[in-house]
Amino acid sequence: MMHFTLLRCRPYATKAIRAAFSTKRGDTSTSSSSSDSDDDRKLKRQERSEAARQKLHLLLENMLENDTTTKEKGSDLPLTKARDHRRIAKERREEESVKTETVGKWSSKLISSDGPFSEKKIVKAVQDVSVSLGGDVKKTESELLQKLLGGPAKEDSQQPTVTDLNELFKDMKIDRETKTDVEISRAEQVRQLLQMVKPQPAQTPQTAPRRRPQVSSSVDIPQEPVNLHVEECLGIFNGEEVKNWEEPELNPTWRALHRRELELSVTHPPENYFQQMILWTKQGKVWKFPIDNEQDLETEKDVYFTEHIFLEKHLEGWCPPRGPIRHFMELVCVGLSKNAYQTAEMKRDHILWFRDYFKEKNQLLVEVGAFPPGFEIGKGGLKVEAK
Amino acid sequence: MSFVKVITSKLSIARIAAPKTILTSCYCTDVEHQIQIPNRIHRGPTDILQALESTVQRDYTAAHYKYHDDPYLTPMSNLGKRTFAMAQEAGRKAAHWVRKENADLFQHREAEPMIKAFVPPKIYTENSDVCEEDLINAIKDVQVADSTLIYKLLKNKNVDISHGTLQQLLELICFYNCEEPLGEEFIEERWFKQSARGKERQRKTWKDGSFAEEVFISFENPGAEAYSAIIQGMAKYGQIDRSAQLFEEAQNKGLVLSADTFNAIISVSDFLKEGYDHRWKFILETLSLMSMAKVKPNLGTLNSVLKILSTMGTGKVVKQHVLRTLSEFRALGIEPSLASWYYVLISFCKERGPVSPILRNIMAELNGKEFKIRDSRDTFFFVTAMDVCHHHLCDKELAKQVDNLLHLHNNYDLIGDSYKESIYYRHYITLLCKTEPLEDFMENVYQKLVPNIYVPEPSVMLDILKYVEANDAINYLPRLWSDIVIFDHANRENILTLILNIMINNGNREAQIVEKLSNVAWDIWSKVEYQQEHRTKVLSFTGDMLGKIMTLTLRNNDFEKASKVMDKLENNQQSVLGVPQFETLKLYVDHCIQQKRPSSGIDCLQYAVDSGFEQASELAASLIKHLTLDETHLQRISSLVGQAVLTENSVTEV
Repeated sequence: MMHFTLLRCRPYATKAIRAAFSTKRGDTSTSSSSSDSDDDRKLKRQERSEAARQKLHLLLENMLENDTTTKEKGSDLPLTKARDHRRIAKERREEESVKTETVGKWSSKLISSDGPFSEKKIVKAVQDVSVSLGGDVKKTESELLQKLLGGPAKEDSQQPTVTDLNELFKDMKIDRETKTDVEISRAEQVRQLLQMVKPQPAQTPQTAPRRRPQVSSSVDIPQEPVNLHVEECLGIFNGEEVKNWEEPELNPTWRALHRRELELSVTHPPENYFQQMILWTKQGKVWKFPIDNEQDLETEKDVYFTEHIFLEKHLEGWCPPRGPIRHFMELVCVGLSKNAYQTAEMKRDHILWFRDYFKEKNQLLVEVGAFPPGFEIGKGGLKVEAK
Repeated sequence: MSFVKVITSKLSIARIAAPKTILTSCYCTDVEHQIQIPNRIHRGPTDILQALESTVQRDYTAAHYKYHDDPYLTPMSNLGKRTFAMAQEAGRKAAHWVRKENADLFQHREAEPMIKAFVPPKIYTENSDVCEEDLINAIKDVQVADSTLIYKLLKNKNVDISHGTLQQLLELICFYNCEEPLGEEFIEERWFKQSARGKERQRKTWKDGSFAEEVFISFENPGAEAYSAIIQGMAKYGQIDRSAQLFEEAQNKGLVLSADTFNAIISVSDFLKEGYDHRWKFILETLSLMSMAKVKPNLGTLNSVLKILSTMGTGKVVKQHVLRTLSEFRALGIEPSLASWYYVLISFCKERGPVSPILRNIMAELNGKEFKIRDSRDTFFFVTAMDVCHHHLCDKELAKQVDNLLHLHNNYDLIGDSYKESIYYRHYITLLCKTEPLEDFMENVYQKLVPNIYVPEPSVMLDILKYVEANDAINYLPRLWSDIVIFDHANRENILTLILNIMINNGNREAQIVEKLSNVAWDIWSKVEYQQEHRTKVLSFTGDMLGKIMTLTLRNNDFEKASKVMDKLENNQQSVLGVPQFETLKLYVDHCIQQKRPSSGIDCLQYAVDSGFEQASELAASLIKHLTLDETHLQRISSLVGQAVLTENSVTEV
C-alpha cells in the first residue's frame, strides 16, 4: 500500500516543484517577486502563524537549491524555445549578473507599481548590464529585455535584431498583465505544496487549494463509495407490465448459433482424461453414460423388442404348418431374432422374400412333396390345419 | 374379464395392507415410518463424467494434460507451449484434410449406427444433385460455404425453397458474414488465437453486396425476422450506417423487430452518434421504442447500454447512468452477467479518472457464486478485475478474492483464452510481488504458478528480479536464473545486466552462495559466448559485463574461468564495448600473484594500459612487489608503464 501511494504521489509533487522552480528559471523577476508578494500578504495578514512562514521560506530555499538540477528539464518553457545554445549560455551569464545586481530591487516594482518610472529603471538596468558585457550592446539589450518579459517575446527573438525599444515597451505592458496572472497561479501552487507538507486545512479563502481529484483519491481511496443498488431507475420500462409481454421466438437459427459460439468460447483444452471424455461425449464420439446400447438408433426407438424376437407371426397365413419348409422357416426366424443389426422391418421383409420365393417354386415343391397335400401358398395354412 | 381384474386388484391391496398391520403390532412402535421414494433425477450423458472430473484437482506441479508426459518433451517457455499445442492442432488438421481428400477410403462402418464425427464430410460440387433437405442439413451443421453452394444449385434447378429454410439460411450467413467459421474441433487454435475480436469490430468487415444481401433481397416482402437478421449481421460486422438505415425502414413499415436487434442497434450507437449527450439520448429513444413496441428487453439490452456508457468518458453523470441502468434492469428481473460487471468496471475505473472502489462492491455481490456464460463478453471480467486490482486499487486482498472466485466451481471456464489468462496472471503476480513479503510470494505464489500455469514474461521477470534485489534475497537468484534459462529469456540484455548487478552487489560471502553465483555468472558467459550464429538478435558482451563475470568467478577462486574472460577482453578489444572496472583488474592481478602467473598478470597490465587506466602503474607495482620476475617480464613492464615504477619498487624491495 505504502509503495503505491508513494508512486502515485511522486509525479504531482515533482510537477508542483518544477512549476515553482520554473518561475525562477524562466525569468528571474517572477520568482523573487512571487515570494516577495507572498511575504507582503502574509505580513498584512497577522493571523498566519510564524511557523508557517518559516516553512514556506525553507521550502522555497530548498527549491532554489534544487533548481540547478532541474534546469535542464525545463525546456518546455516558452523562453528557451527556438534559440541556439550559445545564445542561451550567454543569456544565462547575463541573467546571473542581473540577478546579483539589480533584479532583486526592481523586479518587485515591475509588478507592484504601474508608473513609467519602473520601466525606465528597467531599461536603465538593462543598458548598464549590456554595456558592461560589451560586444553588440544593442542586441544584448533587446535580448535581455525579451528575456525579462517572456511570453510573446519569443516571436521577436526570431528576428535577428530588435532595435526599436519603444516597441519593446509596448510588449512589456501587455506581458506584465499576463505575467501577473501566471504569477498568482504559481504562488498558489507553492502554497499548495506548503499545505501538502503541513496538513492543515485551507487558511485563506481565495487561495484554497484546488486539489486535483487524482491526488485526493490516491491518498485515501475509499472516498467515493458506490452503492450498486440505487433506487433511481431510467423509468422507461415498467417491471410489472414487461412481465406480461410475450417473448416471440424470432430468429431461432441466429439464437442457436449465438449459443453455439458462447459454448465454444468456454470450451477449453481438456485438463484431464475425464474432461476429454466429456468433450468426446459431446461430440458424439463415445458412448453416452449411462450406457444404452440402442444409442442413436433413432429409427428403431419406437419398435418394441418383441417385434425383433418373435417373428413366427410373419409365417402365419402362408407357411405350411409342418414339413421341411416349416422347419426351415423356423430356423430362419431363430436366426433373425438374434440379429442385432437389422431393423424389424428388414427382418419382416427377409421372411416375406422367402414366401415369394417358395411361391415361385410352388409347382416343384408340390411335386417333391415338401408341402402337405392340398396346401397352396397364399391360400392360408389355417385351412390345412382345420383338416 | 373386467370382473376378474377388480378382484385381483382388491386382493393386491389386501396383500399390501396385511404385512403393515402385522409389523406395527409386532414391534409395537407408534412411529409412522413413511418411506419417501425420491423422484427420479434425470441425468445428462456427461453428468457421471462431470462428477468424476470434479474429484480431480489441478496438479500445479504437473504440466498441462495436453503436453507429452515426458519431462524432456514438456515445453516450458510460452513460445514452446504454443508451438507444441499448435503442432498438435496442425496434425489434427492434416488428418481432417486427408479424410476429406480421400473420402472413399473412409466409408467403412465401424460402428452401428455410424458416428457422424468420424465420417468424411459430404462434398458438394457444381454437378451435385441436391434437394432442400441437404440445405437444411448444411445449415444445421453450420456449413456456410456448403449451404451457399447448395442454395445456388437449387436456384439453378429452379427448385422452390420454402420461406422457413430461406430465413434459416439468411440468419446463418448474416451471423458469419458469409465466411466459414473455425470448426468446433479446433479447440487449441481457438484457445491460442489472440482474441482480436474486440478490435475487429472497430472496423467494417461486412461484405457489401454479398450473398447475404442477395438472399435478403430475394424475400419478396421481408418480414421482421429477415430484417432482424440482416440488421444484426450488419451491426455485428461494422456496417453501421446501413444497419441503422434498415432499422429505420423496418420501423417505418411497422415491423416489430426482435429484442436482439434493438440490442445490436444500441451497441453500435457510439458509431452513430458523436457526442456523449447525443449518444445517451439515442439510447433512451431506442429503449422507449422497445417499450412502445412491447419488445421484452433481455440481458443483451442491459449489456449493450452499459457498453456504450463505458465509452462515454469519466463524467459523474455517466456513472449515475450506469447505476440507474442496473437498477432499471434489476427491476425487470434481469440479473447482470459478468459482462455487465465488466462494463461497469471499465466505466468506473478509468486510467485518467478518479480511483473508484467499485470492484469491492461488485465482489461483495459476486462472492461464492457460480457462473455460466451468458454473454460473449463474460470472459473479459476476470482479466479486467485483476487489472483493476493491480493498477487501479493496488489491493492484494481484493486480488485474492478475485482469484478465489475464479477458481470456484467451473468459473475458470470464463477466463477466456490463453492470452487473457496470461494477462490475468501477469497482473496477479506483479501485484503480489509488489505487496507480499518476498518469502511468501516465492513460496506460495511463484512456486505454485510458475511454470505450469503461467510463464512470466520478461517484463514480469524483471519486476521479480528487482524485488529480489530490493530485498537482498540472493538465495532465490539461482532458481530464478534457471527459470530464466528455461523460459528463453536468457537472451535479453536487460535481464542479464540486472542479474549481474544483483550478484555483484551481493554482500553475502558464504562459500556456498559465492559458488552458486559464480556458476550463474559462468552460465551467462557461456550463453553469450556460445550462442547460435543464426540468431536474428545476437547478444554481445560489454566490458562491464565481462568484468562482473570475472569478479564473480574470482570470488569463487576460479582463476581458470576468470583468465578465459580476461583473454576475451584482451583479444576482442574492438568488438567489446566499454571496459571493466579497475577493481576487477586489480582483483585479477591479485589472483595472478596468488597463482604465481606473472605472464597473465602482465597481460592484464597490458590490457589496463591499452584501455587507458591511469592507475595501471599500481598493478605493475604490486606485480613487481609480490612476484619474482625474470628479465623479459621486467622488460615488458617497463615498456608498458615506464622505468620509474621499476626503480621505485625495486628500491622499496631493497
